Amino acid sequence: MSVVAPIVEVTVRGLFGRRRIFLLVLLAALPVLIALLIRVAGGRPDADRVLDTLVVRFVMPLVALIVGTTVIGSEIDDGTAVYLMVKPIARWRIVLSKALVAAGLTAVLILPPVIVTAILLSRTDLATTIEAFTIACFFGGTAYAIAFLALSTFTSRAFLIGLAYVLIWEGVLASLLEGTKFLSIRQATLGIASALGVNTPGEPLPQTVSAAVLAVVIAGGFMLASWRLARFEVRGGD
Amino acid sequence: MTREWTPLEPSQAAPPPAPAEAAAQAAPAPAAPAPAIAVEHVSRWYGNVVAVNDISFALGAGVTGLLGPNGAGKSTLLHMMAGLLAPSSGQVAILGQSAWRRPEIYRSVGLVPEREAVHPYLTGFQFAQYNAQLQGLADPAAAAERAIATVELSDAAHRSIGTYSKGMRQRAKLAGALVHDPQVLLLDEPFNGMDPRQRLHMITLLRSMAAAGRTILFSSHILEEVERLADSILVVYAGRLAASGDFRSIRRLMTDRPHTFTVRSSDDRRLAAALMLEPAVFGAELVDGRVSVRTADFGAFTRALPRVARDSQVSLFEVTPTDESLESVFSYLVRR
Repeated sequence: MSVVAPIVEVTVRGLFGRRRIFLLVLLAALPVLIALLIRVAGGRPDADRVLDTLVVRFVMPLVALIVGTTVIGSEIDDGTAVYLMVKPIARWRIVLSKALVAAGLTAVLILPPVIVTAILLSRTDLATTIEAFTIACFFGGTAYAIAFLALSTFTSRAFLIGLAYVLIWEGVLASLLEGTKFLSIRQATLGIASALGVNTPGEPLPQTVSAAVLAVVIAGGFMLASWRLARFEVRGGD
Repeated sequence: MTREWTPLEPSQAAPPPAPAEAAAQAAPAPAAPAPAIAVEHVSRWYGNVVAVNDISFALGAGVTGLLGPNGAGKSTLLHMMAGLLAPSSGQVAILGQSAWRRPEIYRSVGLVPEREAVHPYLTGFQFAQYNAQLQGLADPAAAAERAIATVELSDAAHRSIGTYSKGMRQRAKLAGALVHDPQVLLLDEPFNGMDPRQRLHMITLLRSMAAAGRTILFSSHILEEVERLADSILVVYAGRLAASGDFRSIRRLMTDRPHTFTVRSSDDRRLAAALMLEPAVFGAELVDGRVSVRTADFGAFTRALPRVARDSQVSLFEVTPTDESLESVFSYLVRR
C-alpha cells in the first residue's frame, strides 16, 4: 500500500491546483444556498424532496462526474499519466489510489451539504433524513465517481458522455422506462434512501436490488479501469 | 563544475525481489547474455497509417542515437520499447522480457518522454521524490536529492516546476527517470530546450552512465547532437530503419552520397562544359539560367570547382547545395 499514499497526495494536489475546485465547491454548496433562500423567503418544503431533487438528481452526479473524470483522465490528457505508468506498480493499485480520491472528495463535497440542507428544511424526522440521505449519497456518490473514473480511462470525451448519461439516460429515459431503472445509479441511490425510511417519488427499487446495482457499479468500474490501465497506450507522438 | 553520475548505494535501491523471483534470477546465466534492448520485426500502424515498418535491432551497453526527421516514427518506437504502446506485429524485449503489460520491467527502465508535461504544482525535488516513492525505493528523499544534484537542478529544487524554463523541465524529467538508477534509459528528444552548457552537462552525464554499463537510447532529429554523444546510431525515416551501426561509417555514407549543386556564374555554358571533364562530376545541365551539377564525390567536387572556374576564366557568383536537408539524407539512406 506504500505507493497509494503518494499517488493520493499528488492527485489531491493536482485537483486543488485547478480552477475547477472552486466550481466544485460552489456546485456542492448550491443545495445549502437554495435551502437558505427558501428559509429567508419563509417557505419550508419537504427536506426529502429538496434533497432528492437537488442533491441526488443534480449536484451529486455532477460533482462525481467532474471529480471522477479528472482524477486520472486529466493526467492522461495532459501527458503526466506517463510518469505513473512507467513505474513497477500493479495497475489496480493506481486505480485504487485514484478511486479513493474520487470517492473521498465526492463524499467530502456532498455529505456536509446534505446534512446542512436537512437541518435547514427538515420538519419532522431530522435524524432519519440525515441518516438515510448520508448513507445513500455516500454509496451513490462512490458509484458515480468510480463509474466516471473508469469511463475516463477509455475515452477523452468521458465528461460529455457522463453528462449525457446523467441528463438524458437518468434524467429522462430511466424515469419513463420502468424496466431500465436498474441501470440507473440515481434510482439505486434513491432505493437505498427509501429503504432507510425517507419518502422518494415513484416506485423505488428494492433495497437489495439497489445495493446490488451500486456494488456492481463500484466493483465493475474498479475492475474495468484496472483492465484498461493494464493496456494503457500513450496518445500522440510521431 | 560538471557533476558525474554515480550508481545508487545498495541501501537506496529498490527492495530485493520476492523469493520466487530471486530463485529465477539465481538460475545459471546463459552463455551469451541477451541484449538490453531487442527489437524484432516490429511494426506499428494506426488504421491505414504505418508509423513503424518492420524494424529490427539489438542494443547493449553504451549510448545509441535514434536519428530521424520529425514524424519518422522515433517516438512510436521508443514508446513500444517503454511498454507504452503495443506493437502491431513483432516483438520488443527489454532485458530479455517483453515490455508490454509488464510493469515490473520499470525497476530497470527509466523514460524521459518528449512531451513537456510535468506536474506544475510540484517542485523539482517533490517530482523526483514522487518518482522514487513510486519505484518503492528505501529512502526516496535521499534518492531524489541525489538525482536532482546529478542533473544540476539543486538551486531550483524547491521551486515549483510551473516556474521552470523548458531546459529545467527537461532536467527535472531526467531526474525523475534516473532516480532509481535504471539499467536502461530511454530518452525522447532530451536536448529540447536546453542551452549549450546544459547540453554539454547532459552529454557528460549520459556518457558516464554508459561507461558504467548502462544502455542509453536517445532520439533526436539533430545530426550534430547525435554526433557528439552516440557511439552508434539507428537512422529511422518514414517508419523504416534506414541505417544502423557505427556512427562514423554512417556519417561517411551520408557525406559520400550523390550531391546536386546549383551554380550561378559569368558563363554557365563554358563552366558546364569544363566541369563535365572532371571525374567527380557525372552530370551538368543548364536549368533556369544556372548550372545544375551532379557529383558522386562531395569533397573532390568542392576542391575541383574553384580550379575549373579559374582555368576557364569564369567568375562564380553563387554555389548552392540543393539536397542538404536531413530529409534528403534520410531518403537517400532508405533508397540504398
